[in-house]
Amino acid sequence: MTTQIPALDETEQGQIKDIVCDILELELDEVTDTSLFKEEHDADSLRTIEILASLERTFGITLKQSELSRMVNLAGVYAVVAEAKAQ
Amino acid sequence: MTGARHRVVVTGLGVVTSIGTGVDAFAAGLRAGRSGAKPITAFDTTGFAYSNACEITDFDPEAWITEQSPDDLGRAAQFAVAASRMAVADAGLTEEQVRGVRSLVSVGTTDGESRDLDHLTGLQVTSGDDVLDAVVARRVWPGRLSAGIVRELGLEDVETVTVPTACAAGNYAVGYGYDAISSGDVEMALCGGADALCRKTFTGFYRLGTIAPDVCRPFDADRQGILTGEGAGILLMESLESALARGARIYAEVLGYGLSCDASHPVAPDRDSIARCITAAHRNAGIEAADVDFISAHGTGTKANDVTEVGAIRQVFGDELPRTVSIKSMIGHTMGAASALASAACALALRDGFIPPTVNHRTTDPECAVDCVPNEAVAADLKVVQNNGLAFGGNNAVLVLGRWDTAPVPTVA
Repeated sequence: MTTQIPALDETEQGQIKDIVCDILELELDEVTDTSLFKEEHDADSLRTIEILASLERTFGITLKQSELSRMVNLAGVYAVVAEAKAQ
Repeated sequence: MTGARHRVVVTGLGVVTSIGTGVDAFAAGLRAGRSGAKPITAFDTTGFAYSNACEITDFDPEAWITEQSPDDLGRAAQFAVAASRMAVADAGLTEEQVRGVRSLVSVGTTDGESRDLDHLTGLQVTSGDDVLDAVVARRVWPGRLSAGIVRELGLEDVETVTVPTACAAGNYAVGYGYDAISSGDVEMALCGGADALCRKTFTGFYRLGTIAPDVCRPFDADRQGILTGEGAGILLMESLESALARGARIYAEVLGYGLSCDASHPVAPDRDSIARCITAAHRNAGIEAADVDFISAHGTGTKANDVTEVGAIRQVFGDELPRTVSIKSMIGHTMGAASALASAACALALRDGFIPPTVNHRTTDPECAVDCVPNEAVAADLKVVQNNGLAFGGNNAVLVLGRWDTAPVPTVA
């Protein structure tokens, strides 16, 4: 059985991108949906935890630490947040 | 100067811990494998899915602090002052005797008085700047951890240092005392570490995913992290000549210590750097790895620490590892006090001939396979013990203690 998870709307995606760029100290146009936080944007594990914490606060969701392994780029974060919101 | 160095011994211990205050209660707690874990009362834990810590719930500052107002000291400094008083008395010294010699007071810490900062920040957020408490604001300065001791004991001919090297700070402070006495700069030293439970630290570790939901299980396959703890451990150290001249009871000889600072990552431990630190300590102490009878590990019970630390031990010791225990399973991670309290535990182990257990243990993780003396203390004839302290930022300090009557004469590194 598969469950359809509603995709995030543009506003929500924009909020996420703002959070990521703010924490990684990047301009919005430097990040694409698939550019890698660690390899391409010098993110370390503490920054990614900061992103996780900020997403939890902004969206009122709870994210497992294990999801960090999927949150390697914006597309990954969109998917993880969409799943958490659907729960 | 190499011929003029003094041997350094521990003759007094002062401890404030969640399994007992005072050396006898602490020793009994270590032997019994007591656990200080309990739900946190120090601050509001609403919103956290779990919130155990090794909190001290029976500490009475007025029983120990008589020469200044306890309110002028934060909780960490209160612990440090109380432990110092205990250490002086335990050494069979009067405070006048300590005042009469040149001395050092060095206290390690991770958080200083962050508990007071929690309080002040809370006030600021809810009520603004005008309501901040001046008495509390004044005592936040971490220098008071050591200065509070100096003031309480009325010391004048004294060097006063607070060492802020986080979770290895206790060993740094004791190592500094060893240098000061062995070089002849001072005759006595009160050295150790202190920290108080605080919301900032709990929250930080919680957010890193390193707080255990129930208890701390070092080296266990199902370990889930640390429990934060609090307390202070202070060692009274003096030269061997001084101790013998006054017929003092000697717990242990400080054989030496090693430091390494790699600064390679904010929180991840570096195996090679830890191995380098252990090797430096052995060299400074004039021992070989095979001389070590047991290791008091940093042993936080996080996934990363235990695997990395045991890997580093293996790098130095080869396949023949000595028994390797973590008293954090009992008293939690007391931060800057941790390696000082572990030093006190090692000194007691040497004097009384036992190895403290690693409690809460079920199944040893093959990734960090050691004989961690699971759950029950064992009797052991000990000559040399090694105490590891590892800290964020790659600040590592390893101390080597020996039974003084059989200890090899330390060589100078």
